[in-house]
Amino acid sequence: MKKTLIIVIDLVIMGLILFFIIHYANTKMRESNENEIEAFEKMTVSAEQIITNYLEDEQHLCDIWANYINRSAEAGTPMTAEEAISFIGKAKLSPMIYGHLIFLDDSSKKGISTHPRATDPNDYSVSYKNIDLFDNPEEISREVGVVSLTRAYTNPQNGVQSIAFMNYVKVLDKESRALKEALLMRVEPVSALEDKFVYLKGEYENVEISIINKDGDYLVHGRSLKNSNFFEYYKSYNRRDITDYNEMTRRVTSESGTMTMTNSKDEECVISYTPLNSMDSWFLLAYIPRKDLVSNNVVDWVLLGMVILALLVLLVFNYLVLNFYNVKLSEAAEAAKKANEAKSDFLSTMSHDIRTPMNAILGLNEMVLRESREEATIAYSEDIRTAGNTLLSLINDILDLSKIEAGKMEIINVDYSFVSMLNDLVNMVQSKALEKGLLFNLDVDGNIPVVLNGDEIRIKQIITNILSNAVKYTKEGSITFRVGMEKEAAPDSVRLIISVTDTGVGIAPEDMKRLFLAFERIDEKKNRNIEGTGLGMSIAESFLNMMGSHIEVESEYGKGSTFSFALVQGVKDQKPIGDFEEAFRHTLSERKKYHVSFTAPQARLLVVDDTPVNLTVFENLLKRTKIKIDKALSGDEGISLYRKNHYDVVFLDHMMPDKDGIETLLEMKGLSDTPNARTPVICLTANAISGMRKMFLNAGFDDYITKPIDPDRLEAVLIHYISKDKTEPAPEDDPKVDRSIPDFIFGIKAIDVNAGLMHCGTNESYMIALRTYLDSAQKNAEEIEDYRKAGDIKNLTTKVHALKSTSRVIGALKLSDFAEKLEKAGKDNDTKTLESGLGSLLAQYRELTGELMPLNDIKGDVEYDKREVITEKDMNEAYTALLEFCASVDYDSVVNVVESLEKYRFPEDEEARFLALKQAVDNFDYELIPEILSGGEK
Amino acid sequence: MRNQRGESPKKLLASVMAAAVVLSMTACQKKADNEEAFNPALSTDTECTIRVAGNYSNFESLESEFERFYEYYPNVSLNYVYLDNYNDTIESALMSDEAPDIYVTASWMLDDKRYDTLFENAEVLSDPSLNIDLDCIRKDVRWTDENGDILMLPIFTRSYGMLVNMDIFEKNGLKVPDDYEGLMDVCEKLKAAGYETPVMGANQTTVAGMYYSFSFPLFCNDVIKNPGSAEALNSLEKSRGEMLRPALEKIKTFVDRKYLNPKLCSAEIEDDYNAVIMRFFEGDVPMMLGSGDMVSGTAKRESKSEAFTKAPFKYKFYVVPTGEDGGYFLSAVSLFFSVNKNSENLEMTNEFIRFLSREKELGNMAAVKRLITPTNDFSLDEVYSSLEGFPQERSFSYHATGLNDAAAKEFRAAAYNVANGIMTVDEAVSAYGSIFEQGQGRQKQLDKQ
Repeated sequence: MKKTLIIVIDLVIMGLILFFIIHYANTKMRESNENEIEAFEKMTVSAEQIITNYLEDEQHLCDIWANYINRSAEAGTPMTAEEAISFIGKAKLSPMIYGHLIFLDDSSKKGISTHPRATDPNDYSVSYKNIDLFDNPEEISREVGVVSLTRAYTNPQNGVQSIAFMNYVKVLDKESRALKEALLMRVEPVSALEDKFVYLKGEYENVEISIINKDGDYLVHGRSLKNSNFFEYYKSYNRRDITDYNEMTRRVTSESGTMTMTNSKDEECVISYTPLNSMDSWFLLAYIPRKDLVSNNVVDWVLLGMVILALLVLLVFNYLVLNFYNVKLSEAAEAAKKANEAKSDFLSTMSHDIRTPMNAILGLNEMVLRESREEATIAYSEDIRTAGNTLLSLINDILDLSKIEAGKMEIINVDYSFVSMLNDLVNMVQSKALEKGLLFNLDVDGNIPVVLNGDEIRIKQIITNILSNAVKYTKEGSITFRVGMEKEAAPDSVRLIISVTDTGVGIAPEDMKRLFLAFERIDEKKNRNIEGTGLGMSIAESFLNMMGSHIEVESEYGKGSTFSFALVQGVKDQKPIGDFEEAFRHTLSERKKYHVSFTAPQARLLVVDDTPVNLTVFENLLKRTKIKIDKALSGDEGISLYRKNHYDVVFLDHMMPDKDGIETLLEMKGLSDTPNARTPVICLTANAISGMRKMFLNAGFDDYITKPIDPDRLEAVLIHYISKDKTEPAPEDDPKVDRSIPDFIFGIKAIDVNAGLMHCGTNESYMIALRTYLDSAQKNAEEIEDYRKAGDIKNLTTKVHALKSTSRVIGALKLSDFAEKLEKAGKDNDTKTLESGLGSLLAQYRELTGELMPLNDIKGDVEYDKREVITEKDMNEAYTALLEFCASVDYDSVVNVVESLEKYRFPEDEEARFLALKQAVDNFDYELIPEILSGGEK
Repeated sequence: MRNQRGESPKKLLASVMAAAVVLSMTACQKKADNEEAFNPALSTDTECTIRVAGNYSNFESLESEFERFYEYYPNVSLNYVYLDNYNDTIESALMSDEAPDIYVTASWMLDDKRYDTLFENAEVLSDPSLNIDLDCIRKDVRWTDENGDILMLPIFTRSYGMLVNMDIFEKNGLKVPDDYEGLMDVCEKLKAAGYETPVMGANQTTVAGMYYSFSFPLFCNDVIKNPGSAEALNSLEKSRGEMLRPALEKIKTFVDRKYLNPKLCSAEIEDDYNAVIMRFFEGDVPMMLGSGDMVSGTAKRESKSEAFTKAPFKYKFYVVPTGEDGGYFLSAVSLFFSVNKNSENLEMTNEFIRFLSREKELGNMAAVKRLITPTNDFSLDEVYSSLEGFPQERSFSYHATGLNDAAAKEFRAAAYNVANGIMTVDEAVSAYGSIFEQGQGRQKQLDKQ
């Protein structure tokens, strides 16, 4: 895990912890705040009780005055206004309390006061004319015990803000001597009422008590509530729609509760409200800034700070520990990197060092294959080629893996012929399958476009790996190679769906996950005899991953597997490939032995390589092209020739002592006095590791060829670079030699034509072998039955052995294997197996010959051989004569003997030997004849 | 006590008229000082309560200053107390146990014996030891007593002029005129643009009526230019009626040319305050005549006008350019503060006054109330921005004219009669001294009918 990721995770965890702490503290704080507000509301209700008690008490005192005066009137001894005021003046206990007696029926609202005007000590008159207090005098209660209270107003006598408790009294009008109603007012300073709130300050320092009427006008005005009207103040600093505003006024003037609002300083404040129970027209408001009542701290910052600090310390500690281990890991990684670089160096060196001798081995072996007429030698040589190619394949796999691991593997998309690629794949795998007696089924969607765009080499490598594995791990049964296609959304691309199904050993479920691991071999114990490095599938999967795909595997252990993948490829030519299977059969039928593709006697090449055997290989590979080849063993020698002679193409080995290929090239290119200014220079290299191609082209080479040299590739390069006027097509072989194989032969399931051709070399030989096989079939079958009836196990075994050999020659591999099995039983005296299998063997034999019968009807290209079969005696005499003539170097007589032998048909088991003799004579390779004759059974 | 040109026989108030150059230089210096941040002179921990008594039932602009003062003195409690029947109760209040520390005074109180105690109890604000900077107050609204002492701090002033719908002017590519000729030209163009009556106002004889705002400042300017004329006008000497002619003729011209339509104004504008504002907010009146008091009511009525809410427009206050060289900035103090020198917290009270008597604070108060600041800084309320840098020679206070209320009433009555066709200009001029009385008589007859 990356260091950054760990730190991020740590920080996220820290954040979650802090979030929890804050959330928890916030919840607790909210609960605490709600409790505080609830307590504040209770305080308001308590305050209301105190105020109510006070108001009722004061009203009660006012009522006592009124009662006394009214009782006097009721008793017939009414008081005059002056007497009443005099009484009140005596009855009131506090000098702050004024008594006013006002005659409301007088428009001037005049009366007398217990106290004179402050500005005139002799003036006891009082007037409320200019004080807006008595708009609705009828609302003033006449009942005892009901609080009748004015708003806060200015006492006209002393200019002090006051409130007044009221009641009506009857006094005697001095002039009319009648009773007259007057309003009795017990006037008290508002400050007296405010003093009742002082106790609340102990509990809430900044609480402010206000009392308002229904319109919001103040009786008692808290300091912080600006404006003369509470509701106006609310509107000024709180944006609410009319519905909310009306709801607020309704609640404040009808019930107890708490609300929050914004004050003039844009601070949030809490207002608790409750109606004064003693009267329905006054309402108590308790105001307090919200910050004084509730805590706004989301969390205890000290606690949070300490937690953050602790977490940071933990983070730093983790970081340091992580860093320590990272340093160690970096060192280990560096060491691993160096080891990997050493491995790459080793691989590079190995590539060169192995490929260079392999070039010699395979090149010279190719010469042997081309020039030898001796069957055994050719067979050995074929084995060398197979082994060499296997070794090369191994090296290539290891190199590919090193490239993939180093991240240097490139996917190089090119246009390619799908049919061509498929041909190569099928050619490669079909022969191998047939050699093992496996049925090879091919199912190709004919709609696949002819020319696709993709990395042909890597795709081929992937499929080859899968197919090779299928063959390797399948002992019997079949291999089915399917290539399907799906159209993609983009018109210029298709999705190839490739699958290979075998009836092989299968893969155990527990091994599935190891399938794509490098150097892992599944079921090693069981498959120990199967060659392989365990790299193939790993490389194939890596390539597919690079191409955006992957291998899918379905397998049943012991029953077989299906490997498949889908791959999107570009389309360059939409033309469909058509029936590939048919096309392939034709290709097979037209297969020919190696034949040089061109001759260029006028062309001249220079090849520079420090290894003499490589020069020999190179020369021999081009022997039949008749090109003149100059060889040089060092860069300097090459430069010397390059300076003097004109060459059509120059080949330079890359790795040479003293002066390597690139240095030599640079020197050559730097020459001005050379006839080779335009001569293409091609690099010969055993170094096939990644990046080399680009490096050679960048270095100035026109092309490059890897060693061991692929003869076809070499010839293709030469055709490309040598001027057309110097090349001419190679002379065609005698058309009569290689004849077409009838189509029906390809339809015979029991016969693998390709395997047969490999054994027989040419179509002609193969056809002869088929006819001979057919001709002798009835006789052989009868003889086998006779020996079986007679219980002659020895001869029976010999005949079955012959059937095994002849069947293998024509490509009847299954029949051959069956015969081999019975042969082994015969040799082991296992009569039971022999007896039980013989019927089936003969049935298959006869069935096959039955299928070959149409050969007798073919008169066209291949004439039926009506020659007499040579006797064994004549044949042995002829062989002896040939050996003698060869020993005496009398080749004319050799030719005569062979020509005379051509008048006879040879037994099928000698047919191949005679053909080899004839070919040796035709090629003037007389020295091969003793070897052919001394060779054992083919 | 009287203002700079007042000639009250009882309390002669000497005006302090320093040379304009010296004053302006001093003002500049003082202005720079004044704009500096307020530095508390007392301990900021001081705890006390200060009461301000006044006749505004609601004094939010003052309460906003309380809040600003708390930033320096958080433990001081400032309370505004509205006194019922203020004019009768303030004197008693000053003598009570709950006597206010600051109380509202007015210039007219100076002439009323009943209020002697108000000024006897007033602190001398110009006492250098108090360090109250009074130089920021415009000289035409600065009041001193015969000793040159300042007992009253002007808080708000008012003027007379017109509200101009700036959007109409802008839409018609017009500039607000700055002289009489320009005013006539603009009215003509506005009429051509479809505004039948470019100038409106309350067709009344009050000081907030349109004729007082339209041409009384012009009349005052003529009085100031004719020293001694004020005394004769105040005595209602008939011969002084000619002084009214230029102002009356301009009213007549406007009515004749239908720039002003008294009947239409009567029909559409019921009073000289609320109705004037609401009619102006209809948005189709280019110029609405009125007093500064009327302007003070605009802010709160913007939201109450459906038309203005739907289609708000920009408006400003201008003096009416009835003079050939321009208009006349006639100002009058609408409210003073005096300090109770017997205050229990006199030091802190003076500190509050020191805090208040700065361009910024007085400007803020005026802006909240939308009245005209007594200082020279008109930048705090854009509505009055036209007064910024108004020429000194055309700026004066009402009291500088020396005119009394009787002369002013005569002018208002004459203007109303001329505009409404009750009198010709000649008749009005010749009837000077009895026009208001005749009007009252006519009103009584109408009432009887």
